[in-house]
Amino acid sequence: MAATTDHDERAGEAPPAPRRGRGRIAGAVSLFGELLITAGLVLGLFVAYSLWWTNVVADRAAHKQGDQVRDQWSDHGPGALDTKNGIGFLHVPSMKNGEVLVEKGTSSKILNDGVAGYYTDPVKSALPTDAKGNFTLAAHRDGHGAKFHNIDKIKKGDPIVFESKDKWYVYKVYDILSETSKYNVKVLAPVPKESGVKKPGRYITLTTCTPVYTSMYRYVVWGELERIDKVDSDRTPPPELR
Amino acid sequence: MYGWIWRHLPGNTWIRVLISLLLVLVVVYVLFQYVFPWAEPLLPFNDVTVNN
Repeated sequence: MAATTDHDERAGEAPPAPRRGRGRIAGAVSLFGELLITAGLVLGLFVAYSLWWTNVVADRAAHKQGDQVRDQWSDHGPGALDTKNGIGFLHVPSMKNGEVLVEKGTSSKILNDGVAGYYTDPVKSALPTDAKGNFTLAAHRDGHGAKFHNIDKIKKGDPIVFESKDKWYVYKVYDILSETSKYNVKVLAPVPKESGVKKPGRYITLTTCTPVYTSMYRYVVWGELERIDKVDSDRTPPPELR
Repeated sequence: MYGWIWRHLPGNTWIRVLISLLLVLVVVYVLFQYVFPWAEPLLPFNDVTVNN
């Protein structure tokens, strides 16, 4: 910004000389140059917007909605599941990003609020409460909260914990697919065969884009439910999160 | 272009500097609030789901 102002100042001090022929060409060239500089600045701003500002906005939205969910839980309101403001929180210690609110749907409108969304389309996700099925989630890798930015830090055997109003669902990662096509919807199947499982069970699937800063491929992490802990009155987290 | 804008701003140098800064802020605001949110879904950087 400062550079632009300097430039302006110098241009303003130059006496407006009479222009003809060569002057007009010089003027056109300098206009073209200024447009290029402007385009460069706008692209730079877009990078700042994508990687910084969307995170600010998304984290603000996610905090607000997360607080609403926690408030609702402590109010002992009716209904264990309210899908409007999110159904619970995802804790993945190996991603080192605290808790991630989980909401219904994977449209950009939902995910841009800095949350993880569970799939309703193309394959409908199961919920952790369901006796069998695959709880499939997506979240942004960069920008908009970047909740799954560190998905590549997850290793086999790491815990993934989903916190609902009255239960801790502790999953254990058993397979990782570090690159797959974005059309590979089979990874969301109730029994995700690609991960090596054959029998119906209670699975969790995390999806996001990869490599970082692009959307070329998808990164997939699968986990299987290990146990369910009851939430006590202090909401003491399970040992995996301590 | 910028020279032309500068010459058409009123006041002395300091007032022009002030107005220029305000104009820059307005442009940045419009970009962040309207242009970038509109442009973002059109660019292939932020698709995270698998789909058909």
